[in-house]
Amino acid sequence: MKRVRTTGLAALAVGMLTLAACGGGESAEADGGSGGSDTGELRLWLNGTDTPQELRDHLVETFEADNPGSTLVIEEQDWSGLVPRLQTALSSEDQTPDLVEIGNTQSPTFTYAGAFSDLTDMVDELGGDDLLQGFVEAGTVDDTVYAVPYYSGARAVFYDKRAFAAAGVEVPTTLAEFTEVATTLQQADPGGKPNWSGFWFPGQDWYNGVAWINAHGGEIAVSDGEEWTGALSSPESQEGLAEVADLFSTATSAPRDADSEEPWVPFNNGEVAMFSAPTWARWSIDLPECNKGVAADDESAAATALLAEQQACNEAATGVFALPGMEAGSPAPVFAGGSNLAIPAKSGNQELARDLLRIIFSDEYQGMLATNGLIPGNSQFADQLGDDVYAQAARDAAVDAKLTPAAEKWADVEGARILEDFFQQIASGADPAEAAAEADELLAETLN
Amino acid sequence: MTATASRPTATPPATTRPVGAGRRSRRARRGGAGRWLLGGLAVVVALVWVFPVYWMVSSAFLPTNQLKRPDPTFVPFGGSLANFRQVLSDPAFLDSLTMSLAVTGLTLAAAILFAFVAALAISRFRFRGRRAFIVTVLVVQMIPAEGLFISQYRMLDNWHLVNSVLGLSIVYVAAVLPFTIWMLRGFVTGIPIELEEAAMMDGLSRTAAFFRITFPLLAPGLVASGVYGFLQAWNEYTLALVVMTDPSERTLPLWLQGMVEANQATDWGVVMAGAAVITVPVIVFFLFVQRRMSSGLVAGAVKG
Amino acid sequence: MSAPPLPSAAPAPPRAPTPPSSRPTDVLRPRRRPLRTRLWPYLLLVPALVPLGVGLGYPLARQFVLSFQEYGLAQQFGRPAEWVGLDNYVSLLSDSYVWGVIARSIAFCLVNAALTMAIGIALAVLMSKVGRAARITLQVGMLLAWGTPVLATMTVWQWLFDSQYGVVNWLLAGPLGMEGQRGHSWLIEPLSFYGVATVIVVWMSVPFVVFTVYAGLLQVPEECMEAAQLDGATSWQRLWRLALPMIRPVLFVVALLQVIWDLRVFTQIHVLQRAGAPTRETHLLGTYIYSLSKEFSMAGAMATIMLAITLALTATYIRRMLREEDA
Repeated sequence: MKRVRTTGLAALAVGMLTLAACGGGESAEADGGSGGSDTGELRLWLNGTDTPQELRDHLVETFEADNPGSTLVIEEQDWSGLVPRLQTALSSEDQTPDLVEIGNTQSPTFTYAGAFSDLTDMVDELGGDDLLQGFVEAGTVDDTVYAVPYYSGARAVFYDKRAFAAAGVEVPTTLAEFTEVATTLQQADPGGKPNWSGFWFPGQDWYNGVAWINAHGGEIAVSDGEEWTGALSSPESQEGLAEVADLFSTATSAPRDADSEEPWVPFNNGEVAMFSAPTWARWSIDLPECNKGVAADDESAAATALLAEQQACNEAATGVFALPGMEAGSPAPVFAGGSNLAIPAKSGNQELARDLLRIIFSDEYQGMLATNGLIPGNSQFADQLGDDVYAQAARDAAVDAKLTPAAEKWADVEGARILEDFFQQIASGADPAEAAAEADELLAETLN
Repeated sequence: MTATASRPTATPPATTRPVGAGRRSRRARRGGAGRWLLGGLAVVVALVWVFPVYWMVSSAFLPTNQLKRPDPTFVPFGGSLANFRQVLSDPAFLDSLTMSLAVTGLTLAAAILFAFVAALAISRFRFRGRRAFIVTVLVVQMIPAEGLFISQYRMLDNWHLVNSVLGLSIVYVAAVLPFTIWMLRGFVTGIPIELEEAAMMDGLSRTAAFFRITFPLLAPGLVASGVYGFLQAWNEYTLALVVMTDPSERTLPLWLQGMVEANQATDWGVVMAGAAVITVPVIVFFLFVQRRMSSGLVAGAVKG
Repeated sequence: MSAPPLPSAAPAPPRAPTPPSSRPTDVLRPRRRPLRTRLWPYLLLVPALVPLGVGLGYPLARQFVLSFQEYGLAQQFGRPAEWVGLDNYVSLLSDSYVWGVIARSIAFCLVNAALTMAIGIALAVLMSKVGRAARITLQVGMLLAWGTPVLATMTVWQWLFDSQYGVVNWLLAGPLGMEGQRGHSWLIEPLSFYGVATVIVVWMSVPFVVFTVYAGLLQVPEECMEAAQLDGATSWQRLWRLALPMIRPVLFVVALLQVIWDLRVFTQIHVLQRAGAPTRETHLLGTYIYSLSKEFSMAGAMATIMLAITLALTATYIRRMLREEDA
């Protein structure tokens, strides 16, 4: 009986493997039409709603005009499910998009994995040294460029003007001053709220926290070319982290278990004097006294006018500045958000994809990115961001903005939330040196 | 010994309804303050249990900026249908609804049919590999599925089934089959073969006997499996995420998750409205089949 | 030990007594059955085997094979994978952190399964003793908890336990006067985190248990209960000594499923971790495997280990079930 059963199972196993083999063989003779043809359907993956509709339309029009007979299809993907999709689709000849937008923190991982085509020969054509260098690094392995910058987002500090006036403080010009201002505001507590924060600094908000590490010259992790080691214990990093610990204990009542999500919510509730967020957060500021009570689905002209008034009111009450650096006049190297663009190696439309890339890096498109509040991949066009206070803050912040280490396994660090845990420990009162030693070990383990 | 041992705990599902009905009327005649107290307790438990769902629906009526306030809003006075309107007027919603219905429908039909037929095989026949199959069906439910999507995608890709209703349905059917086969097996075993034999002795063919006698008794089991399969297919996210990347082929869970944007601000009121809308078909389906399901769940479980 | 045979006194299709010799499911007696009949079971299995093989069989086999290789993202994109034998398993099993995750998962699973069963049975009994209106109310309440999409319910639970604006803290600090609870974080301490996770998992799992056990109780014949009552047994004794033992098979199956499912718990833990918990200290098997998921081979090895653990926990029951099968 046992022997028979084993034979049966063995037969089943052989059957399955044969099935798999047959299935594998099929893909080799898949439709040959996608290789190296002059026309075709090009698919571009853009993430979230960051790229406005007008830019998408421009791309489609321009591409189809330049390449008669070909079409451009833009497929919008969600940020929240992006990684599993990239892991699967990019490795499939059938399913891979021809040009893909990828977050800058994910770029190194996929680049090292060999997912993308070599773009080194195009780099000069696309902008050369004018391209945001940090982003180019994130897409480079062994001096070969596989991914180029798309846009960058900068973080700035938003503040409540009335709270500033009530506490008698001014916009800080150095990082040290910033801590003072925050502490003063914390103690002032103009509204008398029990959970008032001078500066909104949640425990897991490492996007914010790394700015202090960067400002003092520290790093999260460094590579000697072969191995990565955690650098949170370095003296420079520790200096920055000491300030961070200070802020946690004296300048904020933000929960230790919250992260960088939606910092404007407590601000709108009047519980916060300053918060740090990407510059597009301006659209989420919604102070009660400015709110006109427009229904969400009301699209009439009157509603639009009211909304414009509402926004103007909000922006009048709220100021913004770039986080200052160690010396007056220079901004701190804050965390840079943003995306890269790359051509998947398995795409069958390499030439057409390159063409699309050229269109994206055309003066016109780069300018359009800027006018829509996105810092373009080619920094030459950054002045088209505009002159309002937000554009100014964005430009200042972007000057020195830093990305996460361009390590092959950086995505694992984010997946394991090592930095969230680390900052949370400091916020809970742990000794920065001890916590850093632990975190450095974890970083080394994960990155190597 | 073999004659009775296979039926120690079996009760044809048909008996549950008459017994239950009889019991209920008998119970109704017994009254008392005790029952009132217990009844009150049951209602309180129900209300407490439902509170999170109530919160979801209540949030759907409020504008997003009222959702996270120091003083929570317990009852949505002055709320509006704006969020619902936004949800229902989203063109992607209708597309996702259609896709979810298609995938769920196909999954249900295939899963119930295949599981039923497989359950027949393993409970009405003796054959080599039967025990192995039963154990496999059980063991397969123990393996965590979290890393599996990579290999499942590879399989579908090789067969060009990515971004297709058929492809997603295949993996859903595979996910649902083990539990369903197990449940239906109990049902089929619980219906004594003598019933068919008796009918056959009265002159019916085997097939006719099967369809006229045995099949109706299986109805609760089929319904119970249907409910389980429906839930699995309707609310599944990870596989749908990787298999359906084309925005026009999204299922409802993908659509809902898509409203939670990681970069820009999320409109939580609309998300809650979306979730409430997704739940409605589930609740309707449930209420419709719940009565038959009660008798269904146990008969399968007893034999399992 | 199975329950005593239930009397078939209720109106049911008549069951003819079965002489042993005519057991139709025994193919060993009449030796030469036509080939067509012998093939029937296999034919009937084919429709189920195809999607099982394609959707689960091949992926599981591949995952198992991968666990003996070094297969990461690079291999996904074409780099050849090396065979490393048992290295993945060794590195996982020799890591004390992994044993911590395993221990926590088993503990969490047993606590949750026990709580779910206790509450589920209690509510099922309650359901069987109340009037129609109350019963339907309770059923609908359970239904809603079970049928609402997990994304929505998890978001609401997060909001309820939010440290700043959560209803739980508001209730504790305001009406109940525990001012110290204002801004209290429920997720930052692992034990408290597991407490919240348990509340949520039990909340989601109880409905299935309630419905199943209730239906089981429906099958307990009234005559037995009344006879016991006439003999002087109290309500409690009737429940504990008569009804529950009668539905023991039901209880066993449901408990087994709870153990299997609670060991595999993923979504609730994952969402709560992202809501603010210290990730490393709160990993259970499901989320740990997911965190390994870029190292596909490690994830595969961990999944195999987890299968072994589940089998170990449930082996006794499976053996019993198989013995009953063959009898």
